[in-house]
Amino acid sequence: MAFALVLAACAACTDNPRGGASPEEDPVRQPTGVIATDPAASRGPAPETAGAVPGGTVTVFRQTALARLDPQRIYSFMGLSISQLYARRLTTFADDGSGKLTLVGDLAETPGTDVNGDCRTWEFRIKENVRFETGAPVTARDIAYGIARSFDLTLAGGPTYLQEWLSGTPQYDKAFDFEKDKAALPPGVEVPDDRTLRLRFPKAQCDLPFAAALPATAPVPAAADTGLDYDRAPVATGPYKIEGRTGDTELRLVRNPQWDPATDATRHQYPDRFTLAFGADPVAQTNRIMAAQGPDASAVSFDGVPPSLLSRVTGDPALDPRMLRSQTPRLTMLSINTRRVTDLSVRAALNRAVDRESLVKALGGAAVARPLTTLLPPSTIGWHAYDAYPKSAVDVAGAGELVLAHADDAEGQLAATSLATGLRAAGFTITTKAVPADNYLPEIQKADNPWDLYLDSWAPDWPSGAAVLPALYDGRSINAEGGNNGTSYLDARPLDAEFDRIQALPIDEQSPQWAALDEKIMREYAPVVPLYTELTCTIRGPSVGGLFVDSVFGSLAFVNAFVTP
Amino acid sequence: MRRLLSRVAVGLLTLAAVSVLTFLLFFAVPRDPAAAMCAKSCDSARLERIRAEWGLSDPVPVQYLSFVGRLVTGADGCPAPCLGRSYAGGEPVSDVLAHALPITVSVVVPAAVLWMTCGVLLGTLAAARPGSLTDRLVGALSLAGLALPLYLVGAVLLLILVYGTGTLPPPGWTPLTDDPGRWAGGLLLPWVALATTLAPGYTRLARAQVGDVLSADFVRTAAAKGLTGRAVVGRHALRASAGPLATLGALDVGAALGGTVITETTFGLNGLGRTVIAAVRADDLPVMLGAVLLGAVFVIGANTIVDGLQAVIDPRLR
Repeated sequence: MAFALVLAACAACTDNPRGGASPEEDPVRQPTGVIATDPAASRGPAPETAGAVPGGTVTVFRQTALARLDPQRIYSFMGLSISQLYARRLTTFADDGSGKLTLVGDLAETPGTDVNGDCRTWEFRIKENVRFETGAPVTARDIAYGIARSFDLTLAGGPTYLQEWLSGTPQYDKAFDFEKDKAALPPGVEVPDDRTLRLRFPKAQCDLPFAAALPATAPVPAAADTGLDYDRAPVATGPYKIEGRTGDTELRLVRNPQWDPATDATRHQYPDRFTLAFGADPVAQTNRIMAAQGPDASAVSFDGVPPSLLSRVTGDPALDPRMLRSQTPRLTMLSINTRRVTDLSVRAALNRAVDRESLVKALGGAAVARPLTTLLPPSTIGWHAYDAYPKSAVDVAGAGELVLAHADDAEGQLAATSLATGLRAAGFTITTKAVPADNYLPEIQKADNPWDLYLDSWAPDWPSGAAVLPALYDGRSINAEGGNNGTSYLDARPLDAEFDRIQALPIDEQSPQWAALDEKIMREYAPVVPLYTELTCTIRGPSVGGLFVDSVFGSLAFVNAFVTP
Repeated sequence: MRRLLSRVAVGLLTLAAVSVLTFLLFFAVPRDPAAAMCAKSCDSARLERIRAEWGLSDPVPVQYLSFVGRLVTGADGCPAPCLGRSYAGGEPVSDVLAHALPITVSVVVPAAVLWMTCGVLLGTLAAARPGSLTDRLVGALSLAGLALPLYLVGAVLLLILVYGTGTLPPPGWTPLTDDPGRWAGGLLLPWVALATTLAPGYTRLARAQVGDVLSADFVRTAAAKGLTGRAVVGRHALRASAGPLATLGALDVGAALGGTVITETTFGLNGLGRTVIAAVRADDLPVMLGAVLLGAVFVIGANTIVDGLQAVIDPRLR
């Protein structure tokens, strides 16, 4: 089946300017997506990066040390980015940094075959000549073992899509006890031969090729698995391997000679090494990269330019070409507790009354956030812009007093103050409630929480509506103690059928349907007030090139990085 | 020997009290470390299973007793004293502390030599010439040093010497055994900043102590016998003042080894101080407990050592 996912309008895709545009001019990145069906697209080598030369060291600054390296346990933005260098997975996105995404086979020859056309049985043929850093060939069995160990709750922390989909239940560890028999395969996982991996699901899982791009499908040699301690030195399959780590100060990756570029459609091996330097805060990172002395000339800040230095950096034309700016898929919304605010007209009025422009200004302006009126972030394939409730005067009759809860930290206070001011100006009676930041998320995730409005955020794991709408608004996931991942507690029966219907569609037909459902949910239920998407705004040294902001997570991508002498 | 045993017993009791207090404070507000481990798409059933897996559903006293049990007898694959594993990364706490401790020691020990030497020298110099220009200058400098917060001193030094002129390399930590030059270069600024803010305390104490001793009868007698000023100050005045200075030194070094949070934050060093802060933010009780206990060991140990040394320093206590 040759199919294009969605080819949405992409008039101004270049959201990752190499120079010239100020953050205010930064256009919306609207991704186009395809799933590669020609196996040639999944073969290497990756197209050469303009200007790239081999050699040198790329230094990546981050304040907090990277907590996890174990591919089955990774779920942080940095972990997802850095693991691309050492952990290959079943599929991956070929990303040109401007929104053109192609899902290709990574360890697999293609992004997967839907054996019966019903999304229940997927088969992956493993490429020849993909090897671990030890020289041992990667087999389907190694990938199956990686999936099996992700069922172990001791190794929790990573994504749980595959485990839940394979076992058909959120309580996947009950369906398969990895500790009991580490040689066994989880339900639905079959390895007919060394180069074939078959996954059978009790329900249609048309998004599987996307989910398989998460590092949880990275292979793990069973003999090297040391449980929790595997985190220290996972066995590499990518162009780099872990050379060593100096506590929480430094992590060093060096070239993996066993990596064969002919098998890899997306990665390069230009720099001799990557050094991840932990400790410096974003102010120090930015200052050091601006000064660009010694090894800092080929450094990049993972944490980004802090608001206190933004005007200085953006105001210097010499630094502009070294900025990396892009909209991310990370979205923030004002959740409306639909169990308490039951009147749709009040929820609609809240949407009409919110002053997003003032909020974005309070947060730091157009360089850090962009107003949003849709449930899906613009980085979703198939997304279309609409505003169901344009800003206007509202009738607040029947709204009563509303309590707006926020995390008791700087950002929470800033956002809540701005929102409350806007809503009060529109006529609402708003009381703000500061909740200790440490405890904020667990509290708003209680279905019986005592607040009407609260700030919440979400970052989808792949650029499809399936990673947002059912995850946040499927009422069947709400139970006595808590909800789904959303905090509006919308429980609308008519939507259930829609979620099921769209998820069972072939993946190429899903995107416009998700976009339509996005608008339908907002118009008919208005469970949240969409507020803004975050922007990545960071700076690189003058000697490092090939960096871009990826279209899937909005994080720095290192696969094309190089250092100029 | 009896005195030593009693000091050790008091030290152990203090450690027990610190650990109980940390446990109680941790659970004083409702918190759920399991939520952080549960990642996205978490549901209450999985949360419950993670709590059970990590022993978080047990009552607090049971959790505490398990902690003490592991500490004393060890656990499977974790020899005594076993501090458990980090909730955040699953790494053994002993490894987390072993990574952070050399950084803090590298910052504190050379800085302590610097702040004590400079502080005591300046204070003694001022005391030897009371009322002189030197005395007044040292007094003003020490007052300024006490008034300046470390984060300000650090930021100014960074701005001028690193980002501005590039005179010094950016602060950072390299193991001493790997490259002593890089180790010292990366830590020079933290040493200077820490010494700038701590030395004034020693200057003022030394000024007062040495000044008092210099006006004592036995010192006047020593001077009358024909001893030089340097000998009077060195052999008599400074030695008689060493007790309080050593006590202050032990307290400062012991506390600093437990984590120099502001220094580490200002200069981006992931030592014990920052490890504790990160553990508090991440609800990582095992790391928090391990770091707090280690800090307490340093404070108690330093005080015990200095108590023992008092008799050597001051013959009157023998």
